[in-house]
Amino acid sequence: MKISPALAVLLMVACAALLALGPMVLPPFYVRVGQLMLYSAGLAVAWTILGGFAGYASFGHAAFIGVGAFAAGLVEARFSGVSPPLLLLLGLAVGGICCAVLSAAISYPILRLRGTFFAIAMLGVSHVCAELNNNVDFFEGSLGLNFPAVAPTSLEPATFFYWLYLFASLVVLLIAWQIRRSRFGAGLLSIREDEDTARMLGVPTERYKRMAFVISAVLTGQLGVIYAHSLGYITTDSVYRDDTNLSLIVYSLLGGMGSLFGPVIGAFMLVFITQVILGRLLDFHLFATGLLLVILVLAAPGGVLGLVRTFQLRRRPAAAPAE
Amino acid sequence: MSAAPILRVDRLSKNFRGLAAIAEVSFSIEPGSITSIIGPNGAGKSTLFNLVTGYLPPSAGEIQFRGSAITGMATNRIAELGIARAFQIARPFRDLSVFDNVRIGALFGKAGPRDVAATTARGMELAAIAHLADQPASTLTVGQLRHLEVARAIATRADLLLADEPCAGLNPTETAAMIEVLRRIRTSGVTIVLVEHDMPSVMEVSDRLLVLDAGRLIADGPPHEVANDRQVIAAYLGTPDPVN
Amino acid sequence: MNLIAQTLADGLVLGGIYALAAVGFSLIFGVLHVINLSHGILVLLGAYLALFLSQALRIDPLLTLPLVMAALFVVGYVYQRFLIQHAVDRSPLGSMLLTFGVALMLQNIMIWVFSPDMKSITPNWAFTSFRIGAVNFDAVRVSALLASLVLLCCLALLLKFSPLGRVIRATAQQTMAARLCGVNVRHVYALTFAVSAAFAGAAGIVIGIILPFSPADEATWTLNAFVVVVLGGVGSPAGALLGGLLLGIVSTLTAQYIGPSFPNVTMFLLLVLLLLVRPTGLLGNAFSASR
Repeated sequence: MKISPALAVLLMVACAALLALGPMVLPPFYVRVGQLMLYSAGLAVAWTILGGFAGYASFGHAAFIGVGAFAAGLVEARFSGVSPPLLLLLGLAVGGICCAVLSAAISYPILRLRGTFFAIAMLGVSHVCAELNNNVDFFEGSLGLNFPAVAPTSLEPATFFYWLYLFASLVVLLIAWQIRRSRFGAGLLSIREDEDTARMLGVPTERYKRMAFVISAVLTGQLGVIYAHSLGYITTDSVYRDDTNLSLIVYSLLGGMGSLFGPVIGAFMLVFITQVILGRLLDFHLFATGLLLVILVLAAPGGVLGLVRTFQLRRRPAAAPAE
Repeated sequence: MSAAPILRVDRLSKNFRGLAAIAEVSFSIEPGSITSIIGPNGAGKSTLFNLVTGYLPPSAGEIQFRGSAITGMATNRIAELGIARAFQIARPFRDLSVFDNVRIGALFGKAGPRDVAATTARGMELAAIAHLADQPASTLTVGQLRHLEVARAIATRADLLLADEPCAGLNPTETAAMIEVLRRIRTSGVTIVLVEHDMPSVMEVSDRLLVLDAGRLIADGPPHEVANDRQVIAAYLGTPDPVN
Repeated sequence: MNLIAQTLADGLVLGGIYALAAVGFSLIFGVLHVINLSHGILVLLGAYLALFLSQALRIDPLLTLPLVMAALFVVGYVYQRFLIQHAVDRSPLGSMLLTFGVALMLQNIMIWVFSPDMKSITPNWAFTSFRIGAVNFDAVRVSALLASLVLLCCLALLLKFSPLGRVIRATAQQTMAARLCGVNVRHVYALTFAVSAAFAGAAGIVIGIILPFSPADEATWTLNAFVVVVLGGVGSPAGALLGGLLLGIVSTLTAQYIGPSFPNVTMFLLLVLLLLVRPTGLLGNAFSASR
């Protein structure tokens, strides 16, 4: 389904405007759910730049949420005199730089791994970061970090963060959209399909992979910084979470791996299912997400968008059958 | 007056632990020509391609492309210089459309992305697959995939195309279509070197034949001359050379 | 000097147990080419089952070994035949995701049934220890090590000499040819997984005796198994033993000389280093020619 770029931008802006009305018409519980949906959608798109576009599915992106959050928190704690909005910007800047440096450094060894090895290595990265965070006093992971309140006094914090998440996720979406339309994006897709052939055709595969890795990490970290501020107080376990690692994959899988909007759809759906439908049954979450993953793998590996496409193809008269 | 050769191979040798896969092979390829390399199985044809494209380093000898040495250069560097290869076992980007497949060639080929849309269209035209532009590559037949391989290679603005058994496993109609594509590509200014077994097609389309046997070049000349060469006949049929 | 000797000895003991805990994972990777992310949860299942049975039947935990192994054998067979096989048919990532999903489901179930608290299995002879030269050995750990070594030997003998072992190896090396020779590949795969699960369960008992465990540990055991396989090679008990011993020694040395919180960090760095330098492990892939 091809739509012109101008129309796509128009649709995105319209959706954003509609979503922005949320806090003004929804009850508080749903505003919080909305926050979570927007946060998850942003994370999902950031993940998919590496996982869906380039085909390097990371099982450990929570590492960057943690790194971003703690870097921001540790620095902001030392500048308590500064005004809140500036503090937030400082946190975002520091979080971004730390994620950039970390991801750039590990990209060299870790991107030499492919497929399942890469996935597991990233899971290892996430666990190691969590462990260091928890055990090394400097990071204050076990004690916990407090974050300054950055919402302007004229606004409800819930509303402020809702709009902040909306804005941030929109930025992530636009960046991913731009990547997808560019030569860089075409190169990433070719890497996903057949990395060796891509290299032979002249795609600078190593450089592109690293760029995708760093961009994905930094964007994830930025969202992590916002998340930490919205919680107000975090420990290691608040941010370095295996269920986050899992969810990031499921968002793209559920919505349609490899597409741009699939992860957004998947994130909205999964958050809705776990928060609204299963909301009271907290104990069920792991089970439900796991079950959903199992069903997806067996019945709908293309996710929601895959099902849509299959449905569309079935309704069209068959093209000349190929063997 | 012939122009300078686009490809020059000088006393090229490749040994694999004492076995000479290629032994002192020398030849030149004229720009704008179609040359076919033939020979019995195991003669070293694929090894020769691997040496020219940089997959394997030679044990001895030199390879020159458009006057500069490319001996031992990395594969993607050689691709950037303007040599493209179409494989017998096609490797398309399965989830991308035919158009997007060919577009990768145009985006990343020699001399960077220029006139991407035009180059992509031209690649598909020459390979006769423009009508399949929106189809996902995973739905194509073997023959169509071969055309896609060629289209993508051409879209990289290569000056020299090395085609590895493009007609292998195709029926006569598909073979004729592929040969026609190769002719069109030659007309557009690209030099072609083929490895092929399908003798009628080879005789029909080639300007020159190179015959390899056990790593050595045993004949080099126009098709009909080579086909009647006693050594060549002996190599294929296995009878001792009646002259000597 | 004594400290190093003690640390190394502890490392070897731990390593033997790591080896047993990883050999099932290695087998599945080598034969089915599946990364089983539910491996750790199967290990824990063995531990919980042993705990339950030893309390219910009032027998020594090590005596529950045959029961637990049998139970997990059946579970493993069904799991592979009716669930994982379908995911394998889709894509390599598919089987990883499926097993990841199942691991989380089972983890949740275990939290419901057994509670998230740490548990341990304490046999009656738990607190004895003895010395050899300057090194202390704890009876529990030594018996755990001995059990591990015996079981690893049994598996090695099974793979090498039994008809089942031969069929498994043949199928691993040339699946299509095996099919053409009349091998029911799905059945063989399921049997392989069943064996792997049985050994994972046995490892769970052994681990349960020496360490406290809880459902949240499952990822650690899966990752441990992965590291052992990368270190020692894919598909062979010998490789698992080598990898396990290496991991054990690295763990205890790190804990002793760098800090008790850092074994996982070192393990991970070792993992990445080895994946870069020699991805097929120190002993390579037991079932296929090295690439």
